[in-house]
Amino acid sequence: MTTHDVELIDIVKDFESGGKLVRAVDHVSVQIADGEFFALLGPSGCGKTTTLRLIAGFEQPIAGKVLIRGLAMEGIPAYHRPVNTVFQDYALFPHLTVEQNIMFGLQMEGVNKKEARKRASESLDMVRLPDVGARKPHQLSGGQQQRVALARALVKKPAVLLLDEPLGALDLKLRKNMQYELKALQRDVGITFIYVTHDQEEAITMADRIAVMNEGKMLQVGSPRQIYERPETVFVADFIGETNFIAGELLERGPDGFGRVKLPDDTVITAQLSGTLSRSSGPVRLAIRPERIGIATIVETEGEIIDPGEFTVLDALLIDSQYIGTDTRYTLRIGDATELVVRVQNISELDSSAIALGQPVTVYWHNSSTTVLDN
Amino acid sequence: MSVSSQLLINEGSMRSNRAVRRLGKLGLWLNPIFAYFFLWAPIVILVLFSFNESRSVASFTGFTLKWYNNILNNVMGAERAFSTEIMLNAFRNSLFVGTVATAIATVLGTMIALAMARGKFPGKKLIDGLLFLPVVIPEITQAISLAIFFKVAFDWIAIISGERIFPGFHSIIMAHVTFNISFVAIVVRARLADMDPQLEEAANDLGANPWQTFWRVTFPLILPGVISGALLAFTLSLDDFVITFFTSGVGTSTLPVFVYGLLKLTVTPEVNAISTIMMVLSTLLIGISLVLQGRSASRV
Repeated sequence: MTTHDVELIDIVKDFESGGKLVRAVDHVSVQIADGEFFALLGPSGCGKTTTLRLIAGFEQPIAGKVLIRGLAMEGIPAYHRPVNTVFQDYALFPHLTVEQNIMFGLQMEGVNKKEARKRASESLDMVRLPDVGARKPHQLSGGQQQRVALARALVKKPAVLLLDEPLGALDLKLRKNMQYELKALQRDVGITFIYVTHDQEEAITMADRIAVMNEGKMLQVGSPRQIYERPETVFVADFIGETNFIAGELLERGPDGFGRVKLPDDTVITAQLSGTLSRSSGPVRLAIRPERIGIATIVETEGEIIDPGEFTVLDALLIDSQYIGTDTRYTLRIGDATELVVRVQNISELDSSAIALGQPVTVYWHNSSTTVLDN
Repeated sequence: MSVSSQLLINEGSMRSNRAVRRLGKLGLWLNPIFAYFFLWAPIVILVLFSFNESRSVASFTGFTLKWYNNILNNVMGAERAFSTEIMLNAFRNSLFVGTVATAIATVLGTMIALAMARGKFPGKKLIDGLLFLPVVIPEITQAISLAIFFKVAFDWIAIISGERIFPGFHSIIMAHVTFNISFVAIVVRARLADMDPQLEEAANDLGANPWQTFWRVTFPLILPGVISGALLAFTLSLDDFVITFFTSGVGTSTLPVFVYGLLKLTVTPEVNAISTIMMVLSTLLIGISLVLQGRSASRV
């Protein structure tokens, strides 16, 4: 018996588009554990929805295997798979009432009407919509329709719940609330969730693990922390959050996972290497998050605050600052051409106006805050 | 050029612009008036004279219902014998042909629409285009082709089985089915295009097999389109003259064929009355059909 709820083994899927084949899913392999909240994250057209549809059984892979609870799904139609889907546009049946919508799946299983009605009402309670059973879907708001779609899928007690950008059509505030609710619901019911989204913030706040996809490939799979802190490719670093990229040249790889990198202005700094970095020298890209950089007008290099062995300290020039409420976003220039975005939290009102434009400053970061990636 | 003269020129061009716009507005007003006049004037005249006291269409001498009375009460007309019994028989024939042809065409047309909307097969585009053919080709062409087809087919059957089949209800019904299929398929397809294909996937996802999905989700959602298509088909069947005329046999005259028979002598006010009744009936059916088509697919 396997502990994986869903396993994809080397899945390939092509689509025909305008007379030529387009690869939608390109040799994807992943294992999703029982009870996991797993997010498929990527820009539109990256193959995440196709991957979901392959699991649901709406599409068939041209190569590879889909296993659900250890069972190969080849040749098993969607209506016999132990998974249920929450569709992006909800796909509630417009000619049925909310209650009939939820009972639909149970009746297909042969559950008698009385029992189905009881379970439908429990399911509506679970999504906190107890009084809408008699209404038609179009009489509900978007958020309510979303909950009904969830109730309709969960009432079947599937092994895996597939969610295709379920919050995509909701407005921002509602989306935030639903994120917490969905997460709490997933913990309560203990069902494996596979959650497709293009919203990196949503994936980071909700998921146990994230798979970042682009052009049909699964680029990196890991916890939100790993994905955010230790991106393995330029695409992942760029797609998740904001990142400064600095072109550099790798001079040498140290045994401790750090390396010496020469910046465009010939300064040599120490930076942490990505675990998947393939080259041992030559052109690389240095990624660093804007909030990991500190700015100071005077740096006490001799004091306890900054240990020059662990920190990189560079001179910079402030060229722009932007007040964005919680933070101030500074644009700095190091050397002649390299621009750096730095975010500093506005702890007091003074912070945001402390530094004047054109003022020379010092920027510093911990060496482990950087990631050296293949160019 | 001074500033003031420039202003004058601008004012002048503005004035001529306004005149053009006014003329355009007038044109927009007149256009539908003329269009509707040409469209409706003959029909209004027909309806009007079906209530005319006088036999002649030269003048309207007063309001009467006697022509309607005549058709229903078997009163002999002045020039010729008008038999209500024959007319009612023709009307019964029309209803029979219409009902059977509509039933067959609705089932087949709906199936074609489904195949076109959901299926993937080679030559789909071609079949899609061919579907519109009966709508656009001249009715007389279709009528003659059907007449020849039946002649050839019946000849072959006679040769093979030795049994001679003559044109009758079966040939009229088959002919009506051929043109009605297109209309039903087009109306149902429009409805299907309006329907979210994810609904069928959702049903599938919830455990419904294709058969259950069709009857519990697809069919209820396209039903207004199917009924609408059926009403359209029934109306077209009821009104059809040319194709029926070419494919009917002895004793199978439908109402339009019967009316044509009356016209061979002269346009009697009874013909006006029958035509008016047929028009009202058709308009009613088409009206219902349009209302059903207009209903949104998301709010059933």
